[in-house]
Amino acid sequence: MFSRELKKGSTELLILSLLESGPRHGYDIGKMIERRSLGKLQLRIASLYPMLCRLENRGLIRGRWLERPGERRRRFYRLTADGRRMLLRERETWREFMVAVNRVVGRGHA
Amino acid sequence: MPDWRAYVRERLRLPGLRAEREVEIIEDLAQQLEDHYRGALERGALEAEAQAAAEREIQDWDALAREITRSDARRRLPVDQQVIERLDSTGALRRRTDAGRGPTDAERRSISAKAAGMASQLLADLLHGVRLVYKSPGFTAAVLVTLALGIGANAAVFTILNAVLLRPLPYADPDRLVRIFESNPQRGWPLFSASQPNFLDWRDQSVSFDRIAASTARGLNLTVNGEAERIPGMSVSHDFFPLLGVEPALGRGFRPEEDAPGSGERVVLMTRGLWQRRFGGDPAIIGRTITLDDAPHTVIGVVPEFYWRPYELFVPLRADAAGDRSDHRLSVYGRLKPGVGLSQAEAELRGLADRLARQYADTNTGWTVSLQTFFDWTVPKESRRALHVLLGAVALVLLIACANVAGLLLARATARRREIAIRAALGASRWRLVRQLLAESILLAALGGGLGLLLAQWGLDALGVAAGSAVPRADEISLDHRVLLFTLGVSLVTGILFGLAPALQATRVDFHSTLKEGGTGGAARQRARSALVVVEVALSLVLMVGVGLLLRSLVALLDVKPGYETQNLLVARISLPEVRYPSAKEFVAFHERLRERLRGVPGVEAASTASGLPMDGNTMAMEVHVDGAGAPTDGQHPSAEWRLVAPGYFHTMGIPILRGRDLDERDLAPETRDLRGVVINEELARRLWPGQDPIGHRFHPWNAKNPSVAVVGVVGDVRLSALDETPEPAVYLNSNQGVWNPMQIVVRTQGDPSAFAGLLRGEVRALDPGVPVSQVRTMDELIDRSTASRRFTMTLLAIFASVALLLSGVGLFGLMAYLVAQRTHDIGIRMALGASKRHILGLIVGHGMLLTSLGLVAGLAAALALARLMRSLLFGVGAHDPLTLAATMLLLALVALAACCVPARRAVRVDPIVALRCE
Repeated sequence: MFSRELKKGSTELLILSLLESGPRHGYDIGKMIERRSLGKLQLRIASLYPMLCRLENRGLIRGRWLERPGERRRRFYRLTADGRRMLLRERETWREFMVAVNRVVGRGHA
Repeated sequence: MPDWRAYVRERLRLPGLRAEREVEIIEDLAQQLEDHYRGALERGALEAEAQAAAEREIQDWDALAREITRSDARRRLPVDQQVIERLDSTGALRRRTDAGRGPTDAERRSISAKAAGMASQLLADLLHGVRLVYKSPGFTAAVLVTLALGIGANAAVFTILNAVLLRPLPYADPDRLVRIFESNPQRGWPLFSASQPNFLDWRDQSVSFDRIAASTARGLNLTVNGEAERIPGMSVSHDFFPLLGVEPALGRGFRPEEDAPGSGERVVLMTRGLWQRRFGGDPAIIGRTITLDDAPHTVIGVVPEFYWRPYELFVPLRADAAGDRSDHRLSVYGRLKPGVGLSQAEAELRGLADRLARQYADTNTGWTVSLQTFFDWTVPKESRRALHVLLGAVALVLLIACANVAGLLLARATARRREIAIRAALGASRWRLVRQLLAESILLAALGGGLGLLLAQWGLDALGVAAGSAVPRADEISLDHRVLLFTLGVSLVTGILFGLAPALQATRVDFHSTLKEGGTGGAARQRARSALVVVEVALSLVLMVGVGLLLRSLVALLDVKPGYETQNLLVARISLPEVRYPSAKEFVAFHERLRERLRGVPGVEAASTASGLPMDGNTMAMEVHVDGAGAPTDGQHPSAEWRLVAPGYFHTMGIPILRGRDLDERDLAPETRDLRGVVINEELARRLWPGQDPIGHRFHPWNAKNPSVAVVGVVGDVRLSALDETPEPAVYLNSNQGVWNPMQIVVRTQGDPSAFAGLLRGEVRALDPGVPVSQVRTMDELIDRSTASRRFTMTLLAIFASVALLLSGVGLFGLMAYLVAQRTHDIGIRMALGASKRHILGLIVGHGMLLTSLGLVAGLAAALALARLMRSLLFGVGAHDPLTLAATMLLLALVALAACCVPARRAVRVDPIVALRCE
């Protein structure tokens, strides 16, 4: 529905913000995105996983293997300090962007 | 449930990525796929649907790979620290980065690329093996030393065995060669020399043999430019060399007419060695005249190296049918006709001997014939037994070495389980992994085998001097291709066997659980290593007990009183040429003058002469016929050793005169020099006249027809043949009775006797320069020669026992060190919880000593059982001697304790924090 580029850049932001409240594993991230977007954003592993890699390689998130009692071991991702800073900055930018776009596209919330 | 890991692994190609990163990605993706799969199941889908749903999550694998690779190229943060640390320790990291980018899909599929790939893979395996060997010097050194010792010892003993037992004798068709002995079992002479008439009768009348020849030792004085040298030689019948299959290298052999009694031609054959040494390889040697025993002889031929050193000259035997049938001096040899067996020939000759005994009753009664194969004669039973014991010992050493190597390789495999598991996860086939591991062990084994061969060669060279006469066929011992093959085979088998087992086991491991665990190694593997150590200790104990018993035998042997004073005695052999000393007058005069001159030399306490010395290897026996004793009850007349000795001999030798007097001129008839009085030893006195004073009693020497002689003195017993035999009965006759060559000179000196060798030669030369002096040595050297064989075996076994002890110590040390390393975490916790250093020490040492004790008990049982096999080699000590057993067990326990202590001390120095941190 949304253009691919738009999706990509913003999805990374989504991932970061999802991790704000705590570490999550890959499947969980994907499912949360789907749920919160009410099904509008469905990320296959093929799309999600490279993003996680990119974020990790840029040092914004860190993955760690964790084994919870009674569960398989999974790779949990969490925000790094850098990631947190980036998130705040991006959120701010996004907000400004949204305001600017709304002003241009039409009347909306100011 | 589908195997998601395999699923991902098959589809996702990530070239150029680090091993652990690749692993991580695969695992993560697999987990997420599984999550999707399970999620679908939970929502009520069927298995096939759920699987399809999960599979739909990733469709374009190549794109995914590209994305991942691209982002990873700009990596900043290192991968998960945990994984890095673990993998780093196994060396997988570095290796993978060195490998660089692998082949792409397209390349991989092309066949020619595959072949090139295989070749480069093999090379890579080898290089990898080399790198590993280089990178862990401690491990490598331990394995190499162990293998070198074990394989080297094996190679050395196998070489000896090969030369002595396995290689065929260096004659043509040696299986048909036999030695023919005259035999008188009643008298206790099963293998005796033959007389000339008997030999000739056998040769002429028997049908079982192609050829029968005879020989007797005959030293000759070779005079070149006025200087005399005594050359050991043989008188041989004319077909002696043809019988052995030895062709003259130059010239010809003897003709039958030259061997006829009474033939005046003086012809001689010499060995190549003598020809080179004394005649400079003179090309005109054939037909040349040389002076032997002051008479000109014509050289008619040169034979190649003769296997019976030291004989270098050969003259015709000229066996006389009219000779003395009771004078047994010949060694007789036969070559069986094809198709005739040994027992068949023996039976025939026995029948012949019986006929001769009837025909010549007074000389041949009681004499029969005994045959022995050449092999049995060259390698007597005692030597063979000693060699078998050696073989057993060396097998033990190899077993211990193998146990060590197995233990080391097992430990190694355990430590590398993670690396192996990772490689397996990356898609390396099992065969590839096994091949890589095998390349390492074979490389190590080959290196160890090479080192072992060097060790063996060096050891053989060092012992070659000592072996000499101690080992039959000693001059044939050398590393030959058979030994090399054997060594190579042993190395390869060791390397493969003990590298393969861990390799196979390691590659069966589940990758997932390996990464999870701390890599401590299964309990089964621990038990295997412990069992190996117990076995090593047991085997070492057996070996050491064997050596200990033999050592005590040797000590007991050397402790035996020979019956005379052995130190400060110089002996030499001289032989007066018949040409210038034909009768008793000249002969006796020379010897009397020589003795006087020698006694006059400052530093000489006494000098004398004798026809033979104790333990010079010669036997001269006579029958003793006592008047009035009648026919002996057990069918045989007593026999005694006899020697011709000069008056003063007993004093010189330090043999006590117990009764009566020494020999003097009264004991010989004035003109005829017939024997009148003799001296006997205690043993003979006991046998002939028990409880009586033998002085004045009479007997007939050699046979009843000889005039009787009176006993004028009794001397102490002397061991004439060997230290471990009881002293023989002996009769001493006055050597002034007539000509007898050779004679031994005995000189007792003040101080080191070898310093007088030059003076002795000088005195002889001053009397007559044409009389050669040979075999100048001290009495101690002579005795040493008789124990040489025992000492040689003992030395070898002592070396093996030391090697075994060393290997066991190393094995135990290795195991302990490894266990400590594995339990570092454990130890750290204990120490953090307050365990004292002593407690930790006690734990580790206790564990090690427990294993040792088990080994000692097992070894004790085995030693008790096996010692019985060695009984025939022992002297003066029982096979279950408690002192030896206790001492060896104690020694081994001490070594084990030392081996435990070092790792234990290292353990208590562990910092608990470090221990707890590392997993």
